[in-house]
Amino acid sequence: MHIKELRLKQFRNYDAINLDVENKVNVILGENAQGKTNMMEAVYVLAFAKSHRTSKDKELMQWDQDFARIEAEIERKHGPLSLEVIVSNKGKKTKVNGLEQQKLSEYIGTCNVVMFAPEDLNLVKGGPHMRRRFIDMEIGQISSVYLYDLMMYQRVLKQRNQLLKNMFPVPDQEQEVMLDVLTEQLAQAAAKVISKRFSFLQLLQNWAKDIHHQITTGNEELRLTYAPTAEVSEDMELSKIEENVKLKFQQTRQNEIRRGVSLSGPHRDELTLKINDKEVQTYGSQGQQRTAALSLKLAEIELINDNIGEYPILLLDDVLSELDHHRQSHLLNTIQGKVQTFVTTTSVHGIEHDTLKQASTFIAEAGTLKQMK
Amino acid sequence: MVQYPTPISKLIEGFMKLPGIGPKTASRLAFYVLDMKEDDVLDFAKSLVNAKRDLTYCSVCHHITDIDPCRICEDKERDQSAVCVVQDSKDVMAMEKMREYSGLYHVLHGAISPMDGVGPEDIKIPELIKRLQNDDIQEVIVATNPTIEGEATAMYISRLVKPTGIKVTRLAHGLPIGGDLEYADEVTLSKAIEGRREL
Ligand SMILES: Nc1ncnc2c1ncn2[C@@H]1O[C@H](COP(=O)(O)OP(=O)(O)O)[C@@H](O)[C@H]1O
Ligand SMILES: [Mg+2]
Ligand SMILES: [Zn+2]
Repeated sequence: MHIKELRLKQFRNYDAINLDVENKVNVILGENAQGKTNMMEAVYVLAFAKSHRTSKDKELMQWDQDFARIEAEIERKHGPLSLEVIVSNKGKKTKVNGLEQQKLSEYIGTCNVVMFAPEDLNLVKGGPHMRRRFIDMEIGQISSVYLYDLMMYQRVLKQRNQLLKNMFPVPDQEQEVMLDVLTEQLAQAAAKVISKRFSFLQLLQNWAKDIHHQITTGNEELRLTYAPTAEVSEDMELSKIEENVKLKFQQTRQNEIRRGVSLSGPHRDELTLKINDKEVQTYGSQGQQRTAALSLKLAEIELINDNIGEYPILLLDDVLSELDHHRQSHLLNTIQGKVQTFVTTTSVHGIEHDTLKQASTFIAEAGTLKQMK
Repeated sequence: MVQYPTPISKLIEGFMKLPGIGPKTASRLAFYVLDMKEDDVLDFAKSLVNAKRDLTYCSVCHHITDIDPCRICEDKERDQSAVCVVQDSKDVMAMEKMREYSGLYHVLHGAISPMDGVGPEDIKIPELIKRLQNDDIQEVIVATNPTIEGEATAMYISRLVKPTGIKVTRLAHGLPIGGDLEYADEVTLSKAIEGRREL
């Protein structure tokens, strides 16, 4: 899929711009603080209805304005679509072909985007919540059912944590019964989330392993594994997963009441990344960590293509300059001719590649974007 | 800020207490009232006060009513062995419109939600349990909303009632998940009644 036209209104430092873009590599060239990342963010928000760098939607609105709007004409396999995301003081609205969408979980997935930015190194280096967020976002954009299940899980989790807090120090009989109920409800929701994560990671692993192998010219074996907090495994049926998740809750019940929080479940599960059987997070060099993050992102692109039959749009924010020549050309070779890509950089110097020569270049300067002829 | 004379701003304030009415709509309504005939305004004011004064909750089923016990509880033609548990009085009206169900009701006035500080004692669950001890009820149909809190409330009731040997069923099919009973159309509702499953 690709964007044909992008219009921004009062988005960050863009007052009003209207861009025609081609289905190829588009380079956004500019000094610092001119609006390169803002432009990438706009495409990201178009896909996910939220930013990759802030949880406060209001920051997206241009200072002193009361709304921000992103509109795009995109081309998908099945035809064109008009998309619109509006952020205002009153909240957020999404539209597809002019029709307002009632649920975010239904909107997300109409436009698929994969972003690779310097922060993505945290995917490998950072805490477990970074990897959980990655899995959730990526499964979410190919499965609205997953997003729905996850939202359900999170809501029950909140209810259960509140109940646990209320139960301290001396639980009454009603609370004990209610804890049984919420434990059962949480285990049901957890099982759905866990089983989808298992199958997604299996598919991602297949791609990531090959890609990583290629980038490292056969020297490194990358392995992703889901490390759940309950005794569950991939080959189990949904009902068995549910049973074991419940068992884990039962075993830690007294501890949970003391601590006032649910101690196991998908919100505590971990994704581990290993290179040649060593944990990358702890033992990997900076270069290995960067390559692992790149392999994951490239795997994601292929996985989306497998799932929906077309490639997502790729956003590369300030990462080209951070990769060495070998990895740069691997990346550019992979996307050439099949993935619409937006690349930001402060200078094209040192990026010698055919792809870049054939690219459209836009100059970002103080809230304007001009195509270089 | 525009300064209205006190009678008007009081009226606007009054309208703003209603659900879904903001300052704009409230002032539009207030000015409309000023243009209405005095008799109509009086009638309207009276019906507001009467509705509040004359309606109470049924001491048996907690449905809204003008006589106590309510007409449904008093109707001996109805099946005295089944009680349908709902969250709201509006749900009783939705079920009654369907005319498929002829048993009794029990209105909880809410659902259990620790996040909102609502426990089982804060809704009419203790009253339900007491009612089951005395009356000759043989089946409890739980028709709480298909939301997380509605489901949890249904499961909670089931855990309390099951040991007494009374059959507990749950309105099962066709209800849109995340929706309210109030909004379900009649066809889906009657399907739901047919397909009730044991909890
Ligand atoms: N809500 C906003 N309204 C107006 N300008 C903003 C807003 N948020 C950020 N900016 C401006 O955008 C610029 C940063 O743009 P950014 O895209 O992050 O830069 P870069 O080109 O280095 O990636 C800064 O000049 C900042 O002041
Ligand atoms: Mg930047
Ligand atoms: Zn009654």
